[in-house]
Amino acid sequence: MKEQNLPYEKILLEKLKKGDQTAFSSIFRHYYRDMVLFGGNFLADKKDCEDVVQSIFLKLWNDRDVIQIDTYLKSYLLTAVRNGCLNEIRRKGSDHEDLSAADVELSEITSEYDTNNYMLYSDLNQHLERALNKLSPAIKETFLLNKFEGLRYKEIAARLNVSERTIEVRIAAAIKFLRSYLKEFYLPGLFLIIISLNNVISLWKKIN
Amino acid sequence: MNTDNYIESLVIKYLSGHCTEEEKEALLSWIKESEDNRIQFEALRNIWQGLNPAFNPEEIDDQKALNSVLNKINKLHWTQHPVVVYWQRSAAILLLPLLLSLIYLLVSKEPENITQQEVFAPYGTFVEVNLPDNSKVWLNAGSSLKYPTRFTKGSRKVTLQGEAFFEVESYPENPFTVHTARVDVRATGTAFNVEAYPKDSMTSVTMVKGRIGMAINQQKRFDLFPGERASFNKNTLQCKIEKTDPYKWYAWKDGLMVFRDDPLEYVFKRVGQTFNVEIVVMDKEIANQPYRATFKQESLSEILRLLQLSAPIRYVNYNQETANELALKRRKVEVYKLKK
Repeated sequence: MKEQNLPYEKILLEKLKKGDQTAFSSIFRHYYRDMVLFGGNFLADKKDCEDVVQSIFLKLWNDRDVIQIDTYLKSYLLTAVRNGCLNEIRRKGSDHEDLSAADVELSEITSEYDTNNYMLYSDLNQHLERALNKLSPAIKETFLLNKFEGLRYKEIAARLNVSERTIEVRIAAAIKFLRSYLKEFYLPGLFLIIISLNNVISLWKKIN
Repeated sequence: MNTDNYIESLVIKYLSGHCTEEEKEALLSWIKESEDNRIQFEALRNIWQGLNPAFNPEEIDDQKALNSVLNKINKLHWTQHPVVVYWQRSAAILLLPLLLSLIYLLVSKEPENITQQEVFAPYGTFVEVNLPDNSKVWLNAGSSLKYPTRFTKGSRKVTLQGEAFFEVESYPENPFTVHTARVDVRATGTAFNVEAYPKDSMTSVTMVKGRIGMAINQQKRFDLFPGERASFNKNTLQCKIEKTDPYKWYAWKDGLMVFRDDPLEYVFKRVGQTFNVEIVVMDKEIANQPYRATFKQESLSEILRLLQLSAPIRYVNYNQETANELALKRRKVEVYKLKK
């Protein structure tokens, strides 16, 4: 997967070490939202996530002259969020006692993250937006109505005042384009998940 | 291809919480089969999470969060709550000894070692200073006072930039002198207020009790009596003496801002001086409208809000953040007449 790093990360970190609050603020603004959303994969409460992330930034500032960041800053911050959230879960104590063996093993696997290669929410959505913007406006609108608003071909045809056949053609064109475009960016999974957004279950049934 | 689709659907079902026990087992054994599979699982999960964020990204207020973290870093809690502001003021007064020791200026004017010290009053508050002769000085927001650690015989000299209220101990043989850029005030045992902001074209002295002598640019001496206010305009070189209610001019030392039929422009100037904001009245029409109000330890945002409630005005460049930001850098707010 493509690396998405804050531009001038090294310079910013150097400035941070010297106590530059503007550099600190830049890093904060760049990563805060994505870090909170990443925390949402562990903690259900947004406030808890924000607290975890804010304390990470406080620590980043307070330890700025001793901190050693060997990986990418993104990776460092995401790992800190993961650890902070897992600590929070441990501190609160789990209230799920009825987990099956598969659940336990899966939750162990799912609490592991390759933070180096993790794509942040904003990066991912930028890719998606770029991909969708490559479509012609009519095709894009049709595709969004179908995949993101969950309208059926018939409903879209009525709304856009075109034939149902036209809708079918447009959707097929969108899928064909997105499949090849996103493959170029090593995002085949993104494609699959977009086309199955609303009807995960029905897709599942169709495949079988 | 078919197994790929099967696995991908399985991952989606798992992440959206629709997996049965058997499906979980199947997914688990597939992940454990190879490192490649685990990586593929992670990539799919990554994308799923990106498209299904746990919270609405729009509702995450990073600016607010940044402000709160910066406040913690700078140990400054700039909130709008009047009670908190009160404590903040108290804290500022308690902070004074620290300020004193920080700003220690050595001046080798006298053969014996007499040091000069300088006290600054932070914006948004004022500080109380006790001089070596037991005189008391209240220093208004953004002002500074320079004075020796020990007064020598024959004179007690201090230098003021900005605004201060003096309560001077009476020693007729040792007159007390306040130097400002343009006006010198010579007093023996009185209470008076001096406004000498460097950016202001007016320097004003208001007498409360006792008697003082004033000198403008080291000449033009005259006496000032209680209830009188002398204002010297550096542009016209005119000095005007008028009768006034003195309390209005030094109420700030009790945490009050008193306006009695003062032009709106003056109200904003005064508020701006206190909070280090440049508030400019852009429409001359409203600049001279008289305004009556008393603000008691209100925050900047509260004062601006109250003014907007009672006068037909609107602010440009002003938002909650302007008011909340630490008053360290000077900000500018423009005031316009409200259009009907």
